[in-house]
Amino acid sequence: MARYALVIDSRRCIGCHSCTVACRVHNELPIDMIYNPVTTVGPKGVFPHVRMMHIPLLCMHCDNPPCVDACPTGASQQRPDGIVWVDQNKCVGCKACVMACPYGARVSNKETGTVQKCDFCMERVEDGLLPFCVKTCHQKARIFGDLDDKDSDVFKLVNKEPSIRLLAELGTEPQVYYIYSWEV
Amino acid sequence: MKKIDLQQEGLEIKKACCYFCHQNCGVLVYVKDGKILHFEGDPDYPTNTGGLCCRGNVNLIHLDHPARVNYPLKRKGKRGAGEWERISWDQALTEIADRLAAIKAEFGAEAVATAGGTSRTDDWARRRFMNLFGSPNCFHNSHLCWIPTFMVETAIYGWSPFEIDLGLSRCIVLWGQNPGASTLPEMSGISALKEKGLKVIVIDPRYTETAAKADLWLPLRPGSDLALALAWIHVIIYEGLCDYDFIQENCVGFDELTAHVEQFTPEWAEPITWLSAEQIREGARMYAMNRPGNIQWGVAIDQQGKPAGAAMHARAILRAITGNLDCPGADLLTGPSQEFITDEEMELNEYLPEEQKAKQLGSDRFKLVTWPGYGRIAELTKKYWGKAPTAEWMCEAHPPTVYNAILTGKPYPVKALLVSATNPVNSYGESQKTLAALRAVDFLVTCDYWLTPCAMLSDYVLPIAGSFERPTITSTYGCSDFLLASQRAIQPLYERRTDFEFWRDLGIKLGQAEHWPWATLEDAYLYRLEPLGYGVESYDEFVEYYRFHFPERQYYKYKEKGGFATPSGKIELYSSVLEELGYPPLPPYIPPVENEIDHPEVAKEYPLVLTTGAGVMPFHHSEHFQIKELRFLRHEPQMEINPRTAKEYGIEEGDWVWIETRRGRIKQKAHLTEGISPGVVFTQRGWWYPERDMRDPELGGCLESNTNVLTSTVLEDCDPLSGTWANRGLLCKVYKVQDGAKEGNK
Amino acid sequence: MKHHEEGWGWMLAVDFFFAGMGGAMLLIAGVLDLLPGEAGTSLLGNICGPLFISLGACFLILELGRPFQAWRVFMNPKAILTIGAWTMTLAIGFGFIYASFGLDVFPWSKMVGLRKLCAVICIITGLIVATYPGILLGRHKSRPFWNGPGMMVLFLLSSLVTGGAAHLLSAYLFTSSLAGNIAGLNLTVALLLAFQFLVWLVYLWVKISGTTTREAVAARRWLNGEFAAPFKYGFLLAGTLVPFILLFFEQRGLTMVAACLVLIGGFIMRNLVVSSGNIDRTWLPGELDYRSRLPLGDEEFLRAWNNK
Repeated sequence: MARYALVIDSRRCIGCHSCTVACRVHNELPIDMIYNPVTTVGPKGVFPHVRMMHIPLLCMHCDNPPCVDACPTGASQQRPDGIVWVDQNKCVGCKACVMACPYGARVSNKETGTVQKCDFCMERVEDGLLPFCVKTCHQKARIFGDLDDKDSDVFKLVNKEPSIRLLAELGTEPQVYYIYSWEV
Repeated sequence: MKKIDLQQEGLEIKKACCYFCHQNCGVLVYVKDGKILHFEGDPDYPTNTGGLCCRGNVNLIHLDHPARVNYPLKRKGKRGAGEWERISWDQALTEIADRLAAIKAEFGAEAVATAGGTSRTDDWARRRFMNLFGSPNCFHNSHLCWIPTFMVETAIYGWSPFEIDLGLSRCIVLWGQNPGASTLPEMSGISALKEKGLKVIVIDPRYTETAAKADLWLPLRPGSDLALALAWIHVIIYEGLCDYDFIQENCVGFDELTAHVEQFTPEWAEPITWLSAEQIREGARMYAMNRPGNIQWGVAIDQQGKPAGAAMHARAILRAITGNLDCPGADLLTGPSQEFITDEEMELNEYLPEEQKAKQLGSDRFKLVTWPGYGRIAELTKKYWGKAPTAEWMCEAHPPTVYNAILTGKPYPVKALLVSATNPVNSYGESQKTLAALRAVDFLVTCDYWLTPCAMLSDYVLPIAGSFERPTITSTYGCSDFLLASQRAIQPLYERRTDFEFWRDLGIKLGQAEHWPWATLEDAYLYRLEPLGYGVESYDEFVEYYRFHFPERQYYKYKEKGGFATPSGKIELYSSVLEELGYPPLPPYIPPVENEIDHPEVAKEYPLVLTTGAGVMPFHHSEHFQIKELRFLRHEPQMEINPRTAKEYGIEEGDWVWIETRRGRIKQKAHLTEGISPGVVFTQRGWWYPERDMRDPELGGCLESNTNVLTSTVLEDCDPLSGTWANRGLLCKVYKVQDGAKEGNK
Repeated sequence: MKHHEEGWGWMLAVDFFFAGMGGAMLLIAGVLDLLPGEAGTSLLGNICGPLFISLGACFLILELGRPFQAWRVFMNPKAILTIGAWTMTLAIGFGFIYASFGLDVFPWSKMVGLRKLCAVICIITGLIVATYPGILLGRHKSRPFWNGPGMMVLFLLSSLVTGGAAHLLSAYLFTSSLAGNIAGLNLTVALLLAFQFLVWLVYLWVKISGTTTREAVAARRWLNGEFAAPFKYGFLLAGTLVPFILLFFEQRGLTMVAACLVLIGGFIMRNLVVSSGNIDRTWLPGELDYRSRLPLGDEEFLRAWNNK
């Protein structure tokens, strides 16, 4: 069984927002819905001794997803391959998952009344394609793959490069790994 | 999201390209029954390798946006009233042709001018039309973008070394370029090579996306690039870091140069550039000692006005004295294509009579990118390479002079302006003057996707085919030895047509039929590709089976060809071409257009230094403000200011502030950042508000936040060589907006 | 800088208020019944308990994005909300059954054993209903103001004082002096109010001096920020201290005023707590700046080109 994960190489990310837009456009999300924000940290320091880094955010597809536990309807689910998704038919829009997610990865859709989130473009992944955000990244700053596959780029990166996971101290076991250009 | 079956029967994959900037990233478009179902970046395209930027991703939204112009429109009522009558293409072309013929008969062909934007058109067709029509007054705002650089460099070493051999390089200088926001494929390459040890130097007043990745960031005072370049030459020569063998064999004027730059020490440059002498030395050494190396072109120097030409000259010298020319890993002098038919060969420049060339506006004063300089350089390059640079771009009327001629009738009246793929109010300098000219010109025709402020003032607006609706040949403004070809994914929607068809059909109406043998753009492209010998039956076939043509890379062409395309056959550090044209043969020091040292009285009133014009994601020039998916990311114009300076003026994050120069004022929202020097202000370019009332005088608030209200086009501020005007290194002041007042478009 | 907040709306706070109060009313009624002697709670009070829980449930349903699909919230036994939904349903049912013992028309109204059993169930379900929102919020690890066991105590206390106040109010509506076990409720509520006051101070002190700056930032909002005025004057002073004093007089008028103040205070507090969780998330690096720059939703460009 696969375990999908994403490595984000902040050394390569330039904060161009391509992933944000690709995701929104191809997943046909409402205008104000963003699965993939890209934040800018800095410039920190005092001119001219500054540094800056861009940090793309998204659902961390946690191994221990608080959103799934919080969901009273069972709409929020985790697949055996690790992808956390929301069954739109079952979701009632109680936003328990929105509040439970430490990563701001869940957004409610005013029109449908349901909560939506990044699902790693699971239909594409099933067809052997890359998620839109990964595909569109000019800078190859997003590396998607199967952690259970020892030949995969994600496996190699996670095991060779020093990487961090956001809010790992909360015990969520996030499966998005960040290679930082410097310590935040 | 609806799942699309990409295996379904009848689904065709078209190899198209994105047409939102001149990168033309490759795109695979999935088409069925003339409808686009899906698109993705083409993984086999050599530049973007499957990636698409945020603009690339909105292609389908752009394609059928409710605000697009879809039919030919003729003005009803007053100019700018926003009342239109839908007419047929034939009626539009007939009426425009009649009007142009009448103007030509009364005032001469030169009374018809055309304005363009960036490379989003087939402008050889425009030039072909104008040459046959007899007017020399074609222009773009290309002065702000590479064209002067190309011409200065070609004057010095016979071609512009814009092709950088980065794979083998050890050091790249990104001089006023921010590929992290403007040329993403390049940035990707730089990041990959940096991991393998490439040194990256970024020269930029702003701590850009690219500067954040650099080994060395030199945040110079905006507009002081010339002083930095001269000081670098000084360091390289006086610290003995030159490539003496290369200079000995290939350069003339080194002794004169050595004497000339003696005065330009790093200490001399310190107060001008706001960099320490040590920083200046460090940069010069890093570039000179990590050979081979590259200096990548950026628009920064093109946009400096008066010192621009000299700065380009100095930058060109840096490559030559370090031997970073045409060797593996350096900047390559590829010359024009020897194999396919170039843009210039499609232009019919020989049809424009000499007496008409002499009438080109601005050519008496700014000689390098007008007929005097272009003519001389074309003569030299034709002798050496067999071909000349593209005249459309490299040989242009001086835009501010044209606008002035419209307003004053001097030196002669300009009565008609045909605008193609540009929004001049927001992209040319001193918007107030440009807007006045657009309002004043007798006859105004705009070819565009949108009802821009300029289109709103027009007599006719023509719907133009955009991304995915047109085939595209990408060849660096017609000057590269390679080409990349893309096909259209679908025929244009509604009644849109390509700009090629506009010029062709207008030409036919005006009796040029024999010169327009190609019914479609594909036919014209096929004609251009035939000499390549691929034996294809159609242009689409070339795209489907070959798509690119890259000639085998040849280094040291000058050895084989016996020198360079200059009068002496050498690299002319001391330029005889510039001297012939009446310009200094070595780069003199020219201070920034407005500066605190030479203009203390101006600096008293306007104490801050302004830089403008940089590209900011997700927009491009003055485009995409209608695209909500992009606008949502940055929905308001933002200026950057250092927190210490902001504090002095009581400005806080998110405040609306006025930015004012001697020309006028605009408002943008303050963003406080340590990524910019205290005392420097950056404003975003292009802003207008298409969601507002587009009728005159509101015109979508096109002056309110438009940075070009601040720039200077007075002739004294323009570069004497090229006439490029001053976008950067100006003096300004900032203060908080006290009320919500909108700035009128007076 | 303002930004669009994604989170629970005011109706959830209203649910917490009513359901908490109703749950506590069941709990109080049950306990008073099981104590030796007459319970003394009013029929109105006993009806109001399950009624308030139902009212809370209504607000909870209205808060949903798809109210007509509300039945689905019973489906995930691992989710606290599901447990809450089941318990609320049981509490409403048994609450009304318990209240029905006060009406002679029902044949079972004299069956004391059954009533006592019912009281026990009411105590259990009432306690859960009064407590679980606090547990729910306390488990939100990325909501610094909520996170921890303290929220459970605060919510339970608030439920108890509002439930007690509601019982007092219901009882005093029909009588000028209280009889039975309920007579002790004046002082009990007063003591609980004092305790609530102390616990709140300790809670804020722990948050401010706590382990993370995020908690401190969130807690300062209550002392100096935009929550300070309603919290200090609305909840601590008018909703806690003043009724604490008034209740000692054990006088009908003053107790009724005190009870109303307690209800208002509880309402304010629940709302503040819910919005505090919405506002103070554990922000990821650069996230707040990013969100502050996004449009709020009323911008002109968002309305343009919508009709064609």
